[in-house]
Amino acid sequence: MSKTLFEKIWDSHIVTEENGRSLLYVDRHLVHEVTSPQAFDGLRLNGRKVRRTDLTFATMDHNVPTSDRSLPIIDQTSSTQIKALEKNCKEFGITLFDINSPNQGIVHVIGPELGITLPGTTIVCGDSHTSTHGAFGSLAFGIGTSDVEHVLATQCIMMEKPKTFEINIKGKRKNPHAVTAKDIILSIIKKIGTAGGTGTVIEYRGDTISELTMEQRMTICNMSIEAGARAGLIAPDEKTFQYLRGKKYAPENYDDYVNLWRENLKTDSGAQFDKSFTFSAENIAPQVSWGTNPAMTTDVTDIVPFPEEYGKGNPEEEKGATKALQYMGLKPGTAITDIVIDRVFIGSCTNSRLEDLTEAAKVVKGKKVSAKVRAMVVPGSQLVKKNAEALGLDNIFKDAGFEWRESGCSMCLGMNPDILAAGERCASTSNRNFEGRQGTGGRTHLVSPVMAAAAAIHGHFVDVRELDLN
Amino acid sequence: MKGSVIKYERDNIDTDVILPGPYLKIHDYAELATHAMEGLDKDFHKRVKPGDFIVAGKNFGCGSSREHAPIALSYSGIKAVLALSFARIFYRNAVDGAFLLPIEIDESAYKDISDGDSLEVNIAANEIKNLTKNKIYKMKPFPELIGKIIEAGGLFNYKP
Repeated sequence: MSKTLFEKIWDSHIVTEENGRSLLYVDRHLVHEVTSPQAFDGLRLNGRKVRRTDLTFATMDHNVPTSDRSLPIIDQTSSTQIKALEKNCKEFGITLFDINSPNQGIVHVIGPELGITLPGTTIVCGDSHTSTHGAFGSLAFGIGTSDVEHVLATQCIMMEKPKTFEINIKGKRKNPHAVTAKDIILSIIKKIGTAGGTGTVIEYRGDTISELTMEQRMTICNMSIEAGARAGLIAPDEKTFQYLRGKKYAPENYDDYVNLWRENLKTDSGAQFDKSFTFSAENIAPQVSWGTNPAMTTDVTDIVPFPEEYGKGNPEEEKGATKALQYMGLKPGTAITDIVIDRVFIGSCTNSRLEDLTEAAKVVKGKKVSAKVRAMVVPGSQLVKKNAEALGLDNIFKDAGFEWRESGCSMCLGMNPDILAAGERCASTSNRNFEGRQGTGGRTHLVSPVMAAAAAIHGHFVDVRELDLN
Repeated sequence: MKGSVIKYERDNIDTDVILPGPYLKIHDYAELATHAMEGLDKDFHKRVKPGDFIVAGKNFGCGSSREHAPIALSYSGIKAVLALSFARIFYRNAVDGAFLLPIEIDESAYKDISDGDSLEVNIAANEIKNLTKNKIYKMKPFPELIGKIIEAGGLFNYKP
């Protein structure tokens, strides 16, 4: 019988199954400081051990300050949570990339760069952006703390089988340096909505996907959760195998694995998906979000929408847009390129990898950040930082007036010192523009790294297709 | 299960407004509860009573995987959220830790229920009685696995 890639990975990980309920084996469990303390407490309380310490990896990313690592952490609650993870990893025997490790970084950045993420595996993490790892043909689910405890104790997860959703992305972008993977995924979420993928695993397919690099594919899969999906998947190909070759935790007999992956990890022709959506990437523009969820996004050449037009006769949508514009302090009809910004954040598990920084640096090189803007670059990991510095990217950013910081989740989620003040407007390469996400009263516009870099220079959004990025 | 309604006529109520990021560092559940819904409704904590229900629109709980969101609601006294639909991680978190019941209702019930209404939820009958308006609505039955986890009192009490 023809199977989808999802079905192949799912079926090969079933421990037991009954009436659509499955106990799935977990190949890799990634742990961070925020969603794990109660899980470890639960293990202690019940006298349980971590079942597979060899398949469990931890790092601290959400809380960590991105300033000088030699200084103590001032926020006591952050410090407590970070110390708790150190203690828990030591007590239970888990590999931890701690705050001083050369491998510390955002959990979804370090998984792939260390070869912990591998094709055909199941991965879970107490973080919704675990979908990122799907870029490698790995079935990766974000879970909550109860499930984290369950996986620590049993190495299994109890789930109902998700539905399958095929998103076919076709067409060659005219200027792939200006119209990026971020613009593709934001355009798709704009079309299918924030609940468009609910209960499904999305497989991204088509010639546009094949053309993307691994890091660009990660940006696509990362934001699957913003469409409500349980996971995002891309079938692995030669680019995938090449990317993981020689990585720290990649298997030793790598070529044998590659042969297996190449043969098995694809959707059979004739396999049926529960749902299908086709999208043309050929003529899309750079995207800028104007509202308070990622579907509230438009072309950089467009205007801030009028709620009644946005609602298209749906009073709930119209009301939602009105509230969003009120929060964002935006007037309908304003040209997107007239929106003036205060802050720029280049970072997060969506867009903080070497390629993101390299592309942004092209825009910045030899220019100066607008006098009214405070801009920061936060590499996704210490390894990304080191590699970027080897290319001299740090100096390009610093010379232009950007802050060049230590790795972590930083201003994506407002739970470390990097936050927006109330009313501040930020061009951000992160994944969520929810109210208060980057700090109480902060206003987030989601954009690609090149769009964020250009906004930093000009002080407002600009259409990066007009810049020379080649 | 009886309680009164706190209604938010909104879709996409995300986990960042249910429990804003800065509070994810709090370990004590009672303290977390004092910040529930703070991103959307600063008065929620003063207004909520033990046994209350939240009624909301589509895609409730979208966003982050933080279990702190259902925990904060639960420790505020919320017994169930009645919404048009739920984001899946929130849905599982609510059930796995036996924090609250995520109940899916239809458009007509959503429109009909007002803030402050008294409801009685009967899971066995898949029914919601509006005691204020003297009406009965159907709720969407829980999927099998979810129903069993709820019955068991959370994931760790559930024996397949």
